[in-house]
Amino acid sequence: MNEENMSILALMTNASFLVQAVMGILFIASIMSWIMIVQRGIFLNGAQRSFREFEDTFWSGVDLNKLYQELTDRALQNGAIDGIENVFRAGFREFNRLAQTDKADPDAVMEGTDRAMRVALSREDEKLSANLPFLASVASVSPYIGLFGTVWGIMNSFRGLAMVQQATLATVAPGISEALIATAMGLFAAIPAVIAYNRYSAKAEVINANYETFSEEFSSILHRQVHAR
Amino acid sequence: MRNVTSYSTGALLSIIIHVGVLAALVINWESDSKKVIIQPQYIEAKLVQLAPKKTPVVKKPAKPKVDRAKKKREQDKRRADQKKRADKNKAEAKRLAELEAKLKAKQEAKRKADQAEAERQRIETEFAETLAQEQADISAQEDQQVANSFMQLIRQRLSQNWSRPPSARRDMETMIEIRLVPTGRIVGVNVVKSSGDLAFDRSVEQAAFKAEQFEEIKQLDPRLFEKYFRVVKVAFSPEDLRL
Repeated sequence: MNEENMSILALMTNASFLVQAVMGILFIASIMSWIMIVQRGIFLNGAQRSFREFEDTFWSGVDLNKLYQELTDRALQNGAIDGIENVFRAGFREFNRLAQTDKADPDAVMEGTDRAMRVALSREDEKLSANLPFLASVASVSPYIGLFGTVWGIMNSFRGLAMVQQATLATVAPGISEALIATAMGLFAAIPAVIAYNRYSAKAEVINANYETFSEEFSSILHRQVHAR
Repeated sequence: MRNVTSYSTGALLSIIIHVGVLAALVINWESDSKKVIIQPQYIEAKLVQLAPKKTPVVKKPAKPKVDRAKKKREQDKRRADQKKRADKNKAEAKRLAELEAKLKAKQEAKRKADQAEAERQRIETEFAETLAQEQADISAQEDQQVANSFMQLIRQRLSQNWSRPPSARRDMETMIEIRLVPTGRIVGVNVVKSSGDLAFDRSVEQAAFKAEQFEEIKQLDPRLFEKYFRVVKVAFSPEDLRL
């Protein structure tokens, strides 16, 4: 007993099955949440960059028909495109279709266009905030899971303590130490997830607000065009 | 397309991070895990049997051996000496003396052996007596303990069944005599010493009748029962009352 190896790996392998299961769950949760964190980071950065680029090209006075054609080509090439381009394409396509009918009422045209853009917007919002609920649940649940493992481990080690006659600190210390690893792992999984969730949900909101602003602006341009005829 | 690549980079990065953290932990932990064993200083308490120490058996003094051989040798020597310096006519006297000496030695030896035997027997009987005395003491003590525990039980049972009348006062005391049979059943109750209050006395009697039987008495050794429980005297007095 005195010659026991106190390395962290030995502690983990000596832990009871339930504590080990908790550790395994937390480890997997941590890996998954880091995958999400990185993926979300890349995705949101990409969305922000492409929004800026698109806005630059849009306000540079390019012909809207040409822009639409270009984007459609790119969409066909890549299979799908994301972000603000989708909103623009949906709105413009709907506008063109409605405006090409002969007796088009300007208000009806605008209404249809707005609706199409709203649909595209909500799809984009979904894409932006995908995976964030997973991060949120990892952030809030994994400390509890870790705590559960710890409580269980400490419970067991105290039960063992009750059976020995000479209770010293050395008889409980390894058990408590190994149980506390579970809490440490829970926090290790939770802290990055909390930070990432807060950061990314704020970012997703900002980008979504940008999209909405753009769609309003675009709608006002189309509105001018319809009523100018 | 972009999604797939972003997920795979995410997975790669995440695995790299975790492996790094694990490696760092393991390496750091290993380096400073030099065991320092501090033995706690504790005093061990052991339950020791409080058995009465046996008085060491007094070894009876070894029987003084009459050294016949030695004596004989002496005789021989003496005889040789006599032979050397005395002549033949002294042979008779010498033989007489020899015989006498032999007889004397024999008597001496016998006397000594008798004495030793008597001594030994005396010691043995003494020892046996003390041992028996001690054992009797111990068993009496044990008996007393067992009897006390049963007595306690009886008292407790009686006091459970006792409901005091309102006229009970603190200084009252009633002594009753309970007659029991070996099954523990109460076959008779007598008031030996009355408190002066009839209701109080009756309540005490009622308590005894209510108890009816003490099942535990059955387990008792019949010898003990006869000694202590054939007739049990119990005093009742309401000590917890304030009046």
